[in-house]
Amino acid sequence: MSQPSNPPEFANELEELRARADSLATQLAQSYKMASIGRLLAGIVHEINTPIGSILSNNQVLYRSLELVKSALANGDKDSLAKANRLVETCLSLIAIDKIACERISDVVRGLKTFARAESSEVRKADLNQQLQDTLKLTQGEFRQRIKVETDWGQIPQVECHGNMLSQVFLNILVNAGQAIQGEGKITVRTRHEGDSVHISIADTGPGIKPEDRPKIFAGGFTTKAVGVGTGLGLALSKKIVEETHGGSLHFESEIGIGTTFHILVPIEQKKKAEG
Amino acid sequence: MIEKASVLIVDDEEMVITSVRAYLELETNFEVHGFTEPEQAVKFLESNLVDIAVSDYLMPRMSGIQFLTRAKQLQPEATRVLLTGHADKQSAIQAINEVSLYQYVEKPWENAQLLMIIQNGIERAQLLRELRATMSELSTAHSSLKDVQKKLLKAFL
Ligand SMILES: Nc1ncnc2c1ncn2[C@@H]1O[C@H](COP(=O)(O)OP(=O)(O)O)[C@@H](O)[C@H]1O
Ligand SMILES: [Mg+2]
Repeated sequence: MSQPSNPPEFANELEELRARADSLATQLAQSYKMASIGRLLAGIVHEINTPIGSILSNNQVLYRSLELVKSALANGDKDSLAKANRLVETCLSLIAIDKIACERISDVVRGLKTFARAESSEVRKADLNQQLQDTLKLTQGEFRQRIKVETDWGQIPQVECHGNMLSQVFLNILVNAGQAIQGEGKITVRTRHEGDSVHISIADTGPGIKPEDRPKIFAGGFTTKAVGVGTGLGLALSKKIVEETHGGSLHFESEIGIGTTFHILVPIEQKKKAEG
Repeated sequence: MIEKASVLIVDDEEMVITSVRAYLELETNFEVHGFTEPEQAVKFLESNLVDIAVSDYLMPRMSGIQFLTRAKQLQPEATRVLLTGHADKQSAIQAINEVSLYQYVEKPWENAQLLMIIQNGIERAQLLRELRATMSELSTAHSSLKDVQKKLLKAFL
């Protein structure tokens, strides 16, 4: 931007105002992010409590079983040894379950961590297939009962990006898709390497977006959802993150009665900010 | 006192079934039947008597409440217990009313508490069945008494 040189005191004030506006925008994005996690919390809690229940139960059973094995070994007769053998088999299968349960918990926690991380201004290489999988872990509890998620992971290169910001975009679009689907339906997530970009599409079998709403959905504050359900900020922030921050593009196609597909294109490399 | 009690567990998570089964097999001699598909559990109930049905709340295709409603239609005496993952009191209350739930247990569950609920639930189901059997015996006895009465009346009048 070429600016006519302002008197220094105005320049200072302008600078300060810009900084204030920036920090407010960051705060808004941050609180929006927290709110969207909050809404998924019931599902996340369910996702974590199930494996925890298993681990706690198994822990007790393992303890009791080992005590029994110990006394069976002390007895040493044939029947006792056979019993000890059976107990050991049970213990082994429970240990295998515990491993799966721990992995399940850490998957969910990893998904959460992607969001909790403070906005980093740093650009890093990220595996977007992995990030999408982590994000899906968060919606799993919420979707489980009624929505089938199909995935089609393409061979995609690592992408230079602000990973946590893109995860936020994925979550917004997935949550919208889940909210759009009334009753049972399907969400299809697909990734492809296309030229110098990675193309992510998220398709739902919801009712579609009304033609008169289509020009408005990226506007901040536009929502067709009830108070407390929708804020109308998700897509506006997502558009900003994909297009302004990453130089990519975010668009959609929608057909009434068929569904909606959002397309996210992210360049594989970030142009070095031309400075000077 | 409890005779070859039969416990049905439905949870879309295999790990829950494995853990609860291992615990019950260690502590009791109940027969444990586990299903990850509520539809299959319904099939099982159509031809096998159980004393208690424990069901997860959130499952694909069929919710725990829908499943327990089917269980109630198929085997009204069997005790019904809901295992819920989130402290969703609202749905639990709804369930208590809709399917006359015996208890609901929150995940992560406490084994000792779950065992107590299952033991009491089994006893309750078996008592209900005994009661029903006695009642039908009584009514057969009653109707055969009536028959005798009729015959007597016929003979004497
Ligand atoms: N997958 C979708 N299917 C149908 N409508 C959608 C979909 N995604 C977004 N919309 C529409 O766009 C509006 C704005 O979305 P968004 O900015 O995420 O805000 P919010 O979800 O809080 O309403 C939604 O209220 C909805 O009307
Ligand atoms: Mg939204």
